Amino acid sequence: MKKYDTPLIDELEKGPWPSFVTEMKRAAKNNEMANDALGHLEKCYKTRVGYWKHGGIVGVLGYGGGVIGRYSELGDEFPGVAHFHTVRINQPSGFFYTSAALREICDIWDKYGSGLTNVHGSTGDLVLLGTKTEALEAVFAEYSSRGWDLGGSGSALRTPSCCVGPGRCEWTNYDTLDLSYALTQEFQDEIHRPTFAYKFKIKMSGCACDCVASIARADMSIIGTWKGNIEVNQDEVKNYAKKGMDINAEIVNMCPTQCISYDGKELKINNAECSRCMHCITRMTKALRPTGERGATICIGSKAPIVVGSLLSWVIVPFIKVEPPYTELKDLIRKIWEWWDDNAKPRERIGEVIEMKGMRSFLEAIGQSPIPQQIKEPRKDPFMFYTEGDIAAFKAKEAEEKKTGKFKF
Amino acid sequence: MALPQRKTDIGPPHYKQFLPPVIQKNYGKWKYHEVIDPGLMVHVAESGDKLWTVRVASPRILATDTIREHCDIAEKYCGGFFRYTTRNNVEFLVSDEKQVEPLKKDLAKRGFKMGGIGAGISNVVHTQGWVHCHSACTDASGLVKAMMDELMPYFESKRLPSKVRLAVACCVNMCGAVHCSDIAVVAVHTKVPVIKHEDFKNMCELPTVIGSCPTRAISPDPANKSVKINAEKCMYCGNCFTVCPPISIKDPDRDGIAIVVGGKVSSLRTSPKFSKLVIPYISNEPPRWPKAVAAIKHIVEVYAKHARKHERIGEWIDRIGWERFFSLTGIDFTFQCIDDFTFMRDTMRTSATFKW
Amino acid sequence: MEMTELQNKIFAFCEAAKGKKKLKEKDIINGVNAESGVDKDEVKKALREMINVGRLMYSYGGGASSVEIPSEEYLREKGLIK
Repeated sequence: MKKYDTPLIDELEKGPWPSFVTEMKRAAKNNEMANDALGHLEKCYKTRVGYWKHGGIVGVLGYGGGVIGRYSELGDEFPGVAHFHTVRINQPSGFFYTSAALREICDIWDKYGSGLTNVHGSTGDLVLLGTKTEALEAVFAEYSSRGWDLGGSGSALRTPSCCVGPGRCEWTNYDTLDLSYALTQEFQDEIHRPTFAYKFKIKMSGCACDCVASIARADMSIIGTWKGNIEVNQDEVKNYAKKGMDINAEIVNMCPTQCISYDGKELKINNAECSRCMHCITRMTKALRPTGERGATICIGSKAPIVVGSLLSWVIVPFIKVEPPYTELKDLIRKIWEWWDDNAKPRERIGEVIEMKGMRSFLEAIGQSPIPQQIKEPRKDPFMFYTEGDIAAFKAKEAEEKKTGKFKF
Repeated sequence: MALPQRKTDIGPPHYKQFLPPVIQKNYGKWKYHEVIDPGLMVHVAESGDKLWTVRVASPRILATDTIREHCDIAEKYCGGFFRYTTRNNVEFLVSDEKQVEPLKKDLAKRGFKMGGIGAGISNVVHTQGWVHCHSACTDASGLVKAMMDELMPYFESKRLPSKVRLAVACCVNMCGAVHCSDIAVVAVHTKVPVIKHEDFKNMCELPTVIGSCPTRAISPDPANKSVKINAEKCMYCGNCFTVCPPISIKDPDRDGIAIVVGGKVSSLRTSPKFSKLVIPYISNEPPRWPKAVAAIKHIVEVYAKHARKHERIGEWIDRIGWERFFSLTGIDFTFQCIDDFTFMRDTMRTSATFKW
Repeated sequence: MEMTELQNKIFAFCEAAKGKKKLKEKDIINGVNAESGVDKDEVKKALREMINVGRLMYSYGGGASSVEIPSEEYLREKGLIK
């Protein structure tokens, strides 16, 4: 039932792109909360300010996350949004669903909430927008008894997410769907009970295309890669040329390491010099495919601008095998958390702590040696720390050199 | 009716039960894929099996009845199997080629928009905005809707040199990958916050508030049992408001949006890049943000005209230089484009070689 | 130490910080361990039991999570008191 005149947001029902206002009206047909959300939004458009208060203390008993408290300053004017909490449902790996599963999710939500959703939220959860405090325990009982758990929020491990991986992609270097599921199950406690200094996100991409933006949006980015050669199917290369691809312009000249050559007949790759950027493979997917050992590169620290500027993740482990039961990876994650926990002030993301405490402290804590694959370039200014051990090691090397008569730099 | 017994720490359902039989059978054994048109691609497995994907736009905010409509469609043509993408599109997974055309017809009849695959513009990653967030200084869904109405041809049919990834963040917290998008809108505050001193003591922790400021503009104000903000240092990020509700930063006449360009997350050809500021301020103009929309469309068109095939916006700008980007687009270069936060030394030009 | 006694110690620790400092779960575990010498895992276990029955609760404010003593309103909402 229409309850409010909404001339401003009605403007957003015009035009070809699907309209979220139409969605809100669709939910509002038989839902008072959604109806008040419409009136509330119209008011924001009119005054050009928002009226939501800071998140409050709500949740389900025993958990410290999964529900985001949301209250309006205008609860008297729009009682349906006085409480309008978000429930985060942990999505299945790769966002695959059956209609039966989603119908079940919708039916429960219509019973307890606004009928509005985000499919999906930025982190990956299936987000249910708008319910009341008194409904939370019931919502949780209904979903969890049917196999759906809550995702993460607050100072916790946030719901891990991954690309479509082996479900539907020829480029993946490891099973992103399975790893995402395995880590989510392994770290249920860390997702549901916030014990960290701040949020921690893990995202998994099967290759350097990074379809989940892990390098930019995850404290820990797990990006698939390989160690072997790129296999070339020369017949398919010919087919691409025949269909009009300018192989020299589009492939050879765009290769960042200039490791490809093409003489009009044969495509050759100097694999030793390839940095595995995926450009040639994505352009000629029928002709080129990686071979040999598969695994992932682990990068750490990316986040948005707050507090002192945005970060992209830094390479810390150039190559790790990613195979069930993922023991090495799970151990690494625990070591990373332990160091972070020991060193972080409240609300410090791991990237920020690494900047404060130094990459050396972090790498030593997780048992990683320094190697050139970790950096773009070495430090420029000769201000640096030497431990007694470092100097002793340099001296020992020199003593060895004196014995053998050969310098080792 | 009595509630069912709750379970804790069960995690999500196992993904395998949601994979259509053709995926179960060819899991991890895909050979290649082809983009047939911006709304349709086919994946071919080593076994020769094929999986067609029809991609459909979504406004991300969905009513349960719309999700049920997705379910109806999936049941009719896909055995009930479908998925969503990281950019919030819907993907119908068809294993019987004969169902592809009827599915597309049905989708078109129902008004769904197919597209977003390949070198064009896909759905926009965005945040909650006024619909549901306390720190929003604009509405994200409305901006996205207004932008995509104008850019629709690039979703449905028109092609670009490479993909152009768009994002909208309704404040600098950026709950999306705005900082690494080809073109992104980020809403900004432009005025020093106002503090309700009388509420500070009860609602805020002094060290947390002082520590929240990236420019060290906040110091204790013992007389008021509160804090004070040095206006010369404040860059209006609003992080103090996040940790301390009595600090207010919203201002409808001064809040606005900025446009950043040239970011990417993939490592294809060049390393992932941050987006860089090109337009520092446009007034917040709901419901359709005409100037912001025109600016984005303009940047897309200049890029489409000048970039080489496969070049993302950031790669194109790297090749031609930022001075050329500003001259080609006619965007005014302002002081805000010169970094005076922490990165000036890395972003100023350090050679006398540049273009006129 | 008996579980009840340990839980009372944890509760007292939280009560002492009330209104002064927002405690993370780790602060409580480390603090009670330092005060009483009880193993950290034991403290964590006792703390979790208290959270599960609503004697303590996870809270959220200022962008970060903490542990605190629940309000009467919270207990009423959860049906733990009338």
